[in-house]
Amino acid sequence: MNRFLALLIALSLGLGFLWVANQKEESGNFSAFRMNLSSEPPTLDWSLATDNVSIRVIENLMEGLTEYDAELRPIPAIAKRWDVSEDGRVYTFYLRPDVYWSDGLQVTAQHFEYAWKRLLNPKTASEYAYFLYDIQNAAEYNAGTIKDAALVGVKTLDHLSFQVTLKKQAVYFPAITTFTATFPQRQDLIEKYGDRWTDPAYLVVCGPFLLKEWHHEYRLTLVANEDYYGGRPSLDRVIFYVVSEETTALTLYETGDLDRVTLPPIAIPKYKSHPDYVQAPFLRGYYYGFNVEKAPFDDVRVRQAFSMAINREEIPRILKGGELPATSWIPAGMFAHNPTIGLSFNLKKAQRLLTEAGYDSGSDLPPITLAFNTDPTNRLLAQNIQAQWKRNLGVSVLLDNMEWKVYLGQLKQDAPQVFRLGWGADYPDPDNFMNLFTSTSGNNNTRWGNPDYDRLISEGASELDASKRLHLYDKAQRILTESDAPIMPLFFAAQNLLIRPSIEGLTINAMDLLSLKKVRLKGEIH
Amino acid sequence: MLVYFLRRILWAIPVLWLVATITFFIMHVVPGGPFDREKKLPPEIQANIEAKYHLDEPILIQYSLYLKGLLKGDLGPSYKYVGRTVNDVISDTLPVSIQLGLVALLIALIVGLITGITSGAFANTIWDRMSMFFATAGISIPSFVLGALLILIFSHYLKLLPPALWENARSVILPACALGLAPAAYIARLIRASILEEKHQDYVRTARAKGFSEMMILLRHVLKNAIAPVVTIIGPLTATLVTGSFVVEFIFSVPGMGQFFITAVTNRDYPLIMGVTLVYAALIVLANLLVDLLYPLIDPRIKLE
Repeated sequence: MNRFLALLIALSLGLGFLWVANQKEESGNFSAFRMNLSSEPPTLDWSLATDNVSIRVIENLMEGLTEYDAELRPIPAIAKRWDVSEDGRVYTFYLRPDVYWSDGLQVTAQHFEYAWKRLLNPKTASEYAYFLYDIQNAAEYNAGTIKDAALVGVKTLDHLSFQVTLKKQAVYFPAITTFTATFPQRQDLIEKYGDRWTDPAYLVVCGPFLLKEWHHEYRLTLVANEDYYGGRPSLDRVIFYVVSEETTALTLYETGDLDRVTLPPIAIPKYKSHPDYVQAPFLRGYYYGFNVEKAPFDDVRVRQAFSMAINREEIPRILKGGELPATSWIPAGMFAHNPTIGLSFNLKKAQRLLTEAGYDSGSDLPPITLAFNTDPTNRLLAQNIQAQWKRNLGVSVLLDNMEWKVYLGQLKQDAPQVFRLGWGADYPDPDNFMNLFTSTSGNNNTRWGNPDYDRLISEGASELDASKRLHLYDKAQRILTESDAPIMPLFFAAQNLLIRPSIEGLTINAMDLLSLKKVRLKGEIH
Repeated sequence: MLVYFLRRILWAIPVLWLVATITFFIMHVVPGGPFDREKKLPPEIQANIEAKYHLDEPILIQYSLYLKGLLKGDLGPSYKYVGRTVNDVISDTLPVSIQLGLVALLIALIVGLITGITSGAFANTIWDRMSMFFATAGISIPSFVLGALLILIFSHYLKLLPPALWENARSVILPACALGLAPAAYIARLIRASILEEKHQDYVRTARAKGFSEMMILLRHVLKNAIAPVVTIIGPLTATLVTGSFVVEFIFSVPGMGQFFITAVTNRDYPLIMGVTLVYAALIVLANLLVDLLYPLIDPRIKLE
């Protein structure tokens, strides 16, 4: 037995030493920005990346035709300018001649044409192919009904000019070209390395940083691109640690191991007076939807009564995350946001509407279930809404929480009477939010449809005149949140961050995009 | 011994096949699919993705495709980590879990054996009560509470150890303690009970009659026999510890395999669920086999058949 124990101890110690010996710690002085990613990036292939973790890394390695300015307006990036035809359907982008890949090759229009066609190729099976569905024959090629990629409305005019033909006018189209899925790609490298082309050893990029190391499930290290056309970034390195647990990330911030961290909801009250605390708006809306095919919500008056019986001012007091109560759907900070729209708290009117619908008291209503995916914030809010409906309308509502994927399956097959969902902006244009509830949208789980609403959204997408466009979206929002009320918006989210004071030049934007090329460290070397 | 070893290895094949088959079908019965998103995909894109991963094929075809791959050692592509195979994911993360698991096992054995032996040797004394208090606490405190406590004490207040990350040898101490202290408590209770039982055996009385000291009896006679139950649990315990723990890896940001026992399921990453389940099953089979091979070394009365 003694021999057995000795063997075991020797084995473990041996392995321990082996591991210690294998750890390579780099020394040297360099300025590094360190932050956590909430998970391992599922992919760094920008045709396939759909999650904000992957996108956070990619947006610092690559650039596209355009990028956002501080006010989230698309401005030139690799495209030095662009022309739009009179009918608004043909965009011609003119590329800068001084943009080079990290292997020295010039970035050309062919690289964009290849990337966009690859995104749409059914074999790529890209989830974000629909971003280009405004382009002529793009959806058809992606669906496989058109086999010839040459019929898609993207064309290389010469090696620095790239032309895009849309099906119909889409005023938000330049914003689409800021998105990572539209960034250029190298056919030669993708074909040469296959699925491995995003490995640090093979990845060739044209953005401010280069991928030096990708230790899966743990750490990604980016280094400054000396040949970046916009000038070498001030930071020598960016280190992303994969830290999924928010409180662990917060501890790492406190111990000085991270420079920026998102606060977990539970910690927000404690850190609100911290000198590093930053709160910023977020283009993300949270709503409860009604299944309009299920009683009692097949009656618009009941939907309106339920929406009016909620005092949304209670929400930020409950969730404590700087939420902005909302009765309308287009978020604050986006064109056509109008906080005067929607059904605000009006108890008398809510009770009257319920009576008109044939329910003299809340107990006359059929059993009602409010469903949400399992999450502490969702639960807290659902309990508050449940209590408000009980208090204000006398209605007893059952809460039903489900695991995320089970919940999504339930919404698809048989949406509950009341369900919670949210939406974050893909591009900062009201079309992205309002399109959700058109009768053909796959994201409309309410089973509600209104041809007038569909028409207004279609017109809004192609209206160039800002005041006319504003008017169209106001009308559409009134249908969505007042007259038909298939949803009751609840709040717009906020970002709650801690950022080390030594970090300069880090802009916080409402899309939660994180460009690090202009970030500097004030007198601190890690 | 060699024949016994080979026979046990051959028996492992139908066991693993059964595990793979049951997991495969249960996994597909669970509601929700790998590509269900908050932002629903247009049907044509959903179709492209399903075609890429053969999810549009009948379930039996998918099953036969999976088994074919498995025979070649190919665990398939991960649905979540695009461009990486399950083999890649496991080969990246399993070594980390093994490193952490072995250190945790060492802690579990050292702390568990010392505590248990002290407790068994000095039964009903203050040492025994203290040891058993520790053991009861170790079993009762969940690892996420223990992990948080360790971070609070050793990182936050004492600033002795890093709270998380996997940078150097110091990084392994807190997660290994969080992972190893519960099995240490279990081993302590087991060895204490075993010692107390052995102490009433005839051979102990004979040894006392011969005039041996209590310490000599404990170390030379009692412990030899009392250790057998601990060896029995070392097999499954090793497999559990070296495949990683979701909670400990999550709290301490350890890039191990344990996280996938949960995240692969929540992501409905079918091939990854299959992969980690099979690795775990194979390690259980292997660890049990090693324990069975160790028995004759500990107790010469046991013969391998």
